Amino acid sequence: MVKVGVPRALLYYQYFPAWKAFFQALGAEVMVSSPTNKAIMVAGNSQAVAETCLPVKLFFGHVISLIDKCDYMFIPAMRSLGNKAYYCSKFIGLPDMTRALVRKCPPILDPEIDLNKGRRSLDRTAYDLGHHFSEDRNKIKEAVRQAEEVHLAYRREMSDQGTAPPQVLDGARPEEGKWDSGAVAPPVLSIAVIGHQYVLYDEYMSHRLISRLRAMGVRVFTPEMVSQDALDTATLKLGGAPHWSFEADIVGAGEHYLHTEVDGIISVAVFGCGPDSMMIDMVRHRARELRTPFLHLSLDEHTSEGGLVTRLEAFLDMVRRRRKVCA
Amino acid sequence: MRIGVPRCGPSDIIAEALVQKLGTSESELIIPPPTSYRTLDLGVKYSPVEACLPFKLTLGNLIESCELGADTLIHARGTGVCRLGYYVKEQQQIIRDLGYDARFLTLDVSQHRIGSIMHLVKEVTNGAPWPKIVSAIRFSVAKLFACDGIEQVVHRTRAVELQKGMTNQIYREALKAISEARTTREVKKVAKQYTTKLNQMPRDRDADPVKVGIVGEVFVVLDPFANMDIEMELGKLGVEVERTLNLSRWAKYRLFLNYLGADEWKSVHRLAMPYLKRNVGGEGWESVGEKIAYGRRGFDGLIHLAPFTCMPEIVAQNIMPSTREDIPVLTVLYDEQMAKPGMITRLEAFVDLLKFRRKRTRK
Repeated sequence: MVKVGVPRALLYYQYFPAWKAFFQALGAEVMVSSPTNKAIMVAGNSQAVAETCLPVKLFFGHVISLIDKCDYMFIPAMRSLGNKAYYCSKFIGLPDMTRALVRKCPPILDPEIDLNKGRRSLDRTAYDLGHHFSEDRNKIKEAVRQAEEVHLAYRREMSDQGTAPPQVLDGARPEEGKWDSGAVAPPVLSIAVIGHQYVLYDEYMSHRLISRLRAMGVRVFTPEMVSQDALDTATLKLGGAPHWSFEADIVGAGEHYLHTEVDGIISVAVFGCGPDSMMIDMVRHRARELRTPFLHLSLDEHTSEGGLVTRLEAFLDMVRRRRKVCA
Repeated sequence: MRIGVPRCGPSDIIAEALVQKLGTSESELIIPPPTSYRTLDLGVKYSPVEACLPFKLTLGNLIESCELGADTLIHARGTGVCRLGYYVKEQQQIIRDLGYDARFLTLDVSQHRIGSIMHLVKEVTNGAPWPKIVSAIRFSVAKLFACDGIEQVVHRTRAVELQKGMTNQIYREALKAISEARTTREVKKVAKQYTTKLNQMPRDRDADPVKVGIVGEVFVVLDPFANMDIEMELGKLGVEVERTLNLSRWAKYRLFLNYLGADEWKSVHRLAMPYLKRNVGGEGWESVGEKIAYGRRGFDGLIHLAPFTCMPEIVAQNIMPSTREDIPVLTVLYDEQMAKPGMITRLEAFVDLLKFRRKRTRK
C-alpha cells in the first residue's frame, strides 16, 4: 500500500480528517508524525533560517521525522480560501522550502489550493492529486466528496459541541484522555484564548497552555468553538473585508468573544508572525475600548514554561481581583 | 485639502514634480520632512512591536505629515500575501487614536494602472483639468526616469572613482538640479549633462571592481534611510552594484506595459521555477530568480535586503542556498534596532570573502 506522510503541524489541525478521508478512499495509508518533541524541534531548527517562525521550523522537523516512513510527503501550497483573502507567504512556499531544506525528502505532493479560482479549479487540483493513487476518475470524485463531508462534520463537531481539535484528531475523550485531565472543580473564570490552531494545540509549542488554564479553574473558549458564519460576521465588523484567510481565527474570534461574557482574552502568537503582528493589535485595540483585560503571549523556541506560568497566574489574579471590585 | 504622503527613496521627487505642475490653490501637498530618526522613533512608538520596518517608517512619515496639518493621506495598498495589505487598516486606527482627523486615499500597487493614478490625482486636486493632470504625470515620470538613469551610472562609477566621494557629490548635485528643473526638456538636458559629467570623471582604468547584485524587499531596497545607504557604503568599499528593482521600471511596467501583456519578471520567474514554483507575495519569487540570473552572469556575490520578519523574503532566504548557481549571498535584515557600524563590518567581511574567492578561482 502506498504510504502518504502528513506532518503533524500547521494545517494538520484544521484539515487532517479531510485529508485522511481523501487518501484512505483512494486506498493509500496515511502516516502522521508523532506529536512535537524536542528531537523534532532540534531537527527543524537546524535546517531552517533563524528568522523563520517556530511553527514552520517545527513543520520541517516533522517532515524530517517522516523521511523513511512514507513514499510521498503531502504538503499542499495553501494560497487562498477565496474572497481575495490569502494565506501567509510561508504557507504558499512551504513545499518549495521543504524541498530546499530537507535532504532525502520523499517526493512531495504539492497541490496549490486557491479558491479564488473557483470550485472547478479545486476539483481539477484534487483530480491531479488523486491521479497519483488511482486512474479511476469516479473513485477520485467519491474521495473528494467523502473528504468534504468529513471536513464539515469535523468543523460542526467543534463549533456545536465545543470539542477541541486534539479530542477529535487523537480520539482522546475528555474523561479518559489527557486533554482535560487537569480540570478541577467548577471553573470560576471564563477566558477566551485566540490564536492559530497550530499554535494552541501543539502542546510542545504552547506548553500545554489550554490544559494549564483549565487546571487553574478557567473555562476556556477557543476560536473553533464558534461557527464559521459567526466568525466571519465578527471579522467584517471589526476589520472590514479580511486580508488573510485565517483572519477569522484571530480578529473574528476576538471580536466575537469580546461581545460575550468572557472575563478576559489571551492571545497566543509566535514571535515573528507577520499576519499576527497586525491582527492582534486590532483585537487589543478593541479590548482596550471595551475595557476587557487582554494578555498577549509571544512564543518562540526559547520560551520557558516557568515564565509563561507566572504571566498566566498574574493575569488571572488581575482578572479575579477586577471581578471582585466590579461586582 | 492638505495631502500627506509617505516617502520611499526618490518618491518625493515625483510628489514635488506633481505639486510644481498642479499647484492648485485648494489643495496643498505636504511632503513630510526627509525620513529621520525622529520619523523612525514616532513610527516605532505607535506601531505594533512586531510590525515590519516599512510599516513603522511610513507611519512615521504620515504622523509627520499630520503634524504639518495634512487632512488627507495617500498610501499604498496591495492585494496579495504580504502585510502591505493590512497597512492602511492599522495605520488609519493609529492616526485616529493620535487625535488626527485624516482621510485615507489608497493606491493598490498590485492592481491599479495609470488610470487609477490619474483619478487619484484628480480627486486630490479637486478636479484639475485632464490635460493638466496628464502633463503633470508625464513631467514627474520624466524626473523619475532621469533620477534612476543617473543612479545606475553612479552605481558603476562609485567603485572606480579616483577621488573618493566625487561621485556622491556629483550625484547630489544632479538630484538637486533634477528637482529644480521646470520643464520636461530641462529635465532631460540636466540628466544628460550629469551623466556625461559622471562618465568623464577621472577613474581608475585598471580597477576590476567586485560586482554585487542587490535584491530583496522593495521598500528597504529603494529607501536609503531604511537600508542605511548600503549602496553608498558598498561603493566606498570599491564594489560595483547592480539592481533591477527601481521605481521607474515599476512605473513603466506596472502602469503601462503590463497592461499590454508584457511581463518584466517573466524570465526571472522562469529561472526561479525549479526552486520556487509560485509567487509567494512581495518580492520573494523575484529574489530567488534574480540570484540565479546574477549567478549566471558571473557576478561575485549577492546582497539580499529585507525587513526583519518579512514573510516573502524569509521564504526566499530559506530557498536561496539550494540553487545550483552558487554565488555567496549576504542577507541583511533591517529593523529599528540595527546600527550602521554593524552593517558596515558585515559588508567589509563579505567583500573580503568575495575578493578572496575571486583570487582563488582565477588562479
